[in-house]
Amino acid sequence: MKNVVISAFSRSPFTPAHKGALAAVRPDDITAQVIKALLKKSAVNPEDIEDLILGCAFPEAEQGLNMARLLVHLADLPIKIAGVTVNRFCGSSMQAIHMAAGAIQMNAGEVFICAGVESMSRIPMGGFNSLPNPDLYQRFPQAYISMGETAENLARKYHISRSEQEQFAYLSQQKALQAVQQGRFSEEIVPVYPKKGKPVSADGCLRPDSSLEAMAELKPAFLADGSVTAATASPLTDGAAAVLVCSEAYADRHQLNKLARIKSIAVSACEPEIMGIGPVQATKKALQRAALSLQDIDLVELNEAFAAQSLAVLKELSIANDTLNIDGGAIALGHPLGATGARITGKVASLLQREQKRYALATQCIGGGQGIATILEAVS
Amino acid sequence: MKIARVAVIGAGVMGSAIAAQIANAGVAVELLDRVDEKQTDRDAIARAAITRLLKIKPAPLMHPRNARLIRPGNIEDDLERVATVDWVIEAVIEDLAVKQDLYRKLSEICKPKILISSNTSTLPLALLTAGQSEAFKKRFMITHFFNPPRYMRLLELVVPAEIDTELFDAVTQFADLCLGKGCVICKDTPGFIANRIGTFWMQTAVLQAIQMDVPVQQADAVMALFGIPKTGVFGLLDLIGLDLMPHVLKGFKQALAADDKLYQIAVLPEPVQKMIDKGYIGRKGKGGFYRLQPVEKQKIKQVIDLKTGDYHVAEKFKIKDVTHKAEDLRHFLESDQLLSRYAWRVWADTFCYAASLMPEIADNIATVDRAMRLGYNWRFGPFELLDRLGVRWFVERLQQQQMQVPALLADGNALYCVEEGKQHFLGAKGRYHPLQHAAGVLLLEDIRIQATPILHNASASLWDIGDGIVCFEMHSKMNTLDPDNLGLLQQSIDKVAHEYRAMVIYNEAENFSAGANLTLLTPAIQAEDWDAVKAIIHLGQNSYRMLKYAPFPVVGAPTGLALGGGCEILLHCDAIQAHAELYMGLVEVGVGLVPAWGGCKELLRRWMSYPKIAQGPIPPIAKVFELIGMAKVSQSAQEARDFLFLAKSDGITMNRDRLLSDAKSRAIELAEKYQPPEPAVFYLPGKSGWAALDIALHNLYLSGQVTAYDVVIGLHLATVLSGVDTDIIQPLSEQELLNLELEAFLALLQKSETLARLEHLLKTGKPLKN
Repeated sequence: MKNVVISAFSRSPFTPAHKGALAAVRPDDITAQVIKALLKKSAVNPEDIEDLILGCAFPEAEQGLNMARLLVHLADLPIKIAGVTVNRFCGSSMQAIHMAAGAIQMNAGEVFICAGVESMSRIPMGGFNSLPNPDLYQRFPQAYISMGETAENLARKYHISRSEQEQFAYLSQQKALQAVQQGRFSEEIVPVYPKKGKPVSADGCLRPDSSLEAMAELKPAFLADGSVTAATASPLTDGAAAVLVCSEAYADRHQLNKLARIKSIAVSACEPEIMGIGPVQATKKALQRAALSLQDIDLVELNEAFAAQSLAVLKELSIANDTLNIDGGAIALGHPLGATGARITGKVASLLQREQKRYALATQCIGGGQGIATILEAVS
Repeated sequence: MKIARVAVIGAGVMGSAIAAQIANAGVAVELLDRVDEKQTDRDAIARAAITRLLKIKPAPLMHPRNARLIRPGNIEDDLERVATVDWVIEAVIEDLAVKQDLYRKLSEICKPKILISSNTSTLPLALLTAGQSEAFKKRFMITHFFNPPRYMRLLELVVPAEIDTELFDAVTQFADLCLGKGCVICKDTPGFIANRIGTFWMQTAVLQAIQMDVPVQQADAVMALFGIPKTGVFGLLDLIGLDLMPHVLKGFKQALAADDKLYQIAVLPEPVQKMIDKGYIGRKGKGGFYRLQPVEKQKIKQVIDLKTGDYHVAEKFKIKDVTHKAEDLRHFLESDQLLSRYAWRVWADTFCYAASLMPEIADNIATVDRAMRLGYNWRFGPFELLDRLGVRWFVERLQQQQMQVPALLADGNALYCVEEGKQHFLGAKGRYHPLQHAAGVLLLEDIRIQATPILHNASASLWDIGDGIVCFEMHSKMNTLDPDNLGLLQQSIDKVAHEYRAMVIYNEAENFSAGANLTLLTPAIQAEDWDAVKAIIHLGQNSYRMLKYAPFPVVGAPTGLALGGGCEILLHCDAIQAHAELYMGLVEVGVGLVPAWGGCKELLRRWMSYPKIAQGPIPPIAKVFELIGMAKVSQSAQEARDFLFLAKSDGITMNRDRLLSDAKSRAIELAEKYQPPEPAVFYLPGKSGWAALDIALHNLYLSGQVTAYDVVIGLHLATVLSGVDTDIIQPLSEQELLNLELEAFLALLQKSETLARLEHLLKTGKPLKN
């Protein structure tokens, strides 16, 4: 079988929805700039690209009309590159990578752009026209459960206290802050030029001045007597991310950089009302397929949809603290739904290089009750 | 000469709030203040003032967006900016040298043909212009705004004889039309008109209450009988701030002659001094004569005992069996009871003082009355009030009590009279002069003097207001809608269709309409007579449908509250000409109901045809669901436009007195080539949409933002807005939507929680959260 590698990774700054610097920028315009920068970074010949696979959780309005194909034009790519928009909610752009990997191994193309985007300012979570099936809603209402409620369910099920969640969130903020101070995001962040105003080149969601005292003051966000607050949930975010995925042979032929090799992939599903536990089964499946155990994994990017959700996963998977989200996670950096999968996979791939480690895991939970995971291996 | 840009120098409480009102008119403002050397931002003071405008209540801005029209700056770096403006208002510290120095600088920079004015409340014009050039005197006057400038309509003007009339006209026109002010020309005397009389009245009322041992709350209730806002005297002082009293009194003491009656009483009462010392300076502090004391999570209103300085619970106090009728008031004033003696003392002194100031402070009594109405929100000015009570009666009582009769009243002549269908006031030498309104002011109260209504019953009247236009006036209690005025509306529609060109719906009360008269529902509910309820709903639905499809245009002209059924009648008009102060909303959920006189239907129609909303069936429904479900009430006409209660083509009138005239013009305009509207057709998502709204409600409930019964009401609202049993490809008529409204209304009305909400509102005037 052909080896598949992640060759390059870029992302836009992640900024808070509605009040952030990217709120006024169309999501397709953000993504086009990220893709252009990705290709500039790489020695790839654009003519060789088979397909642009784009993840997006709410592909409608400005994110509609098969945005992936439109991005081919927006990013001035050769007209022969195809485009497909895929939706697995928060797992959308990791799914894009999985699809590229599958296609490469099927001999159905050698180079793919796998991207993801979400403007949560411009397209509300849930979309503009949520029209649930009334019969299903009556029979199985949890199919439409809100994400906040699922986090509360996990907090209750796993006895995760509010202060534990706040500790976790605080640590995420601290790790992200340190990464910013050490300039660790400068490699991956691509400045985005709005139509009007200054270029946006820094993440905007971080709360460097957050403290445990201030967190303890907040009101519960989803459940009147609950434990999840705005501080322990990932913020609504605008942003895009992209990775270049190709066969290892292609990379070698064209002297492309190789960040990491894709070792195994998996998706899984669980009860919608505890969707946050999704990474557990997905990770177990991926580990099994890679014939590895968690002890072998040196670096983990576990998406922080909620602190309660991440902590629940950590109760099921023994992941060492010093391997987890070492540059901070979504609680601090933000979670533009469709973009997150590409960000954490691209991130952990580049961390393998930076940290000189062997195996890495990227995994996330998905609304509706799913998990997705990717195991990467260093290319030495 | 058009005023397109204004500068306000001084970003204090008054300066910044004046800037806000100018921005409310859509006019750009330069707001300049000093440089605070301690801060790096040299515009920090002015900038902070703008930020404050967005926070304080009652809001000085009619829309947060208006803040963007105000540009902060400082007088050291940015004074050059006044070169671009068409009017400069100085609102800096009351220091003559500072002001005069500023005027000299302004004179050099400003365009030659623009007016500079001062918002001083204490310094006389003569002092401000002393030593200034002749050219300056031509371009300067005092423009004294009242606090808060958005809400208080009075603008006192003190004008030098030399004034350039073109500049004067331009600024007063702007103040009238764009800022909505009633301009009143004052003589150059201390405190001008309103504060001179107002301070005398307040000081008398406080001193007498202390001396006669009248409890604070009772004193305020007495004042309300005479058309004073319900804050009375003590509540008003709490609002103004007790700490200002010593300054105001000191100012008068310095400026007035020793034989002036206000001079003689301008001493800070001891209990007030004690309160100030303890920090009880009014609402901006920890309380004043009244305070809100937290007791077990509730705030209990307490009132001070002037003798002991202790607070006790402020129980509701109402003076029984006295109406606002002159006869009742006279009777009350003649009584020997404490409150009667108190009222007589305060009013007799106030009337005599006001009379003694004529013509020292103003050209005529009508000017004084107008100033007190617009500046202190009195229902009647002192001379109007005295005239209602009867001058002869008053003089006789003065004589009985051996009090001095002021010269103005000596003949016992009425102060106002109607001659040839016009209101006249008593002028010098016992002659009556006609009361003149500015061009473009049309008032029902004037029409009432000279004509009888075309149709009339206890709740409404139909007036001919000229040029083929009629005015439908509601005059029930709080202008609530009931079978009487709805019946008269139907009759009126028939009449106008045959004999007139257009209709304006307007009245001259404080509020356009508080909604349907809920007391009508109570007997039907108690008797479980659902047919009677249905009949009421049908009456409203039919009346409003007739209004909408009448063969002539209808213009709604609301001011103040327009709630529930009062909002719905407006939504059925062809156009709305709104007063800027419009508090409009569909608030039925507050009493556990949904709008059923076509409110859901009309608001949905507006949002479904709104081009700027996202496409698809849900966004307009979600928006209407939010507006009705949260009982959103606009905080201004500008905000009502955001909610689509007002359409883009609807007009906003800043000056209350010009509302009827503007609405009439709009009606005349629409009457040319009028075609009734086409009925709307609705494509609604049915159960799927209902499920979407249910999910939203469920999440609001979980997070504690709504109660369990709010969810029940919300789900009934959802059935109306989603069309529940319809399908997205199936057209629904207006009638089908009205039927859904009726069904939801009836279903809710049969629930005990709705009944509890209704009863609570009728009893306490406040909504119940259950």
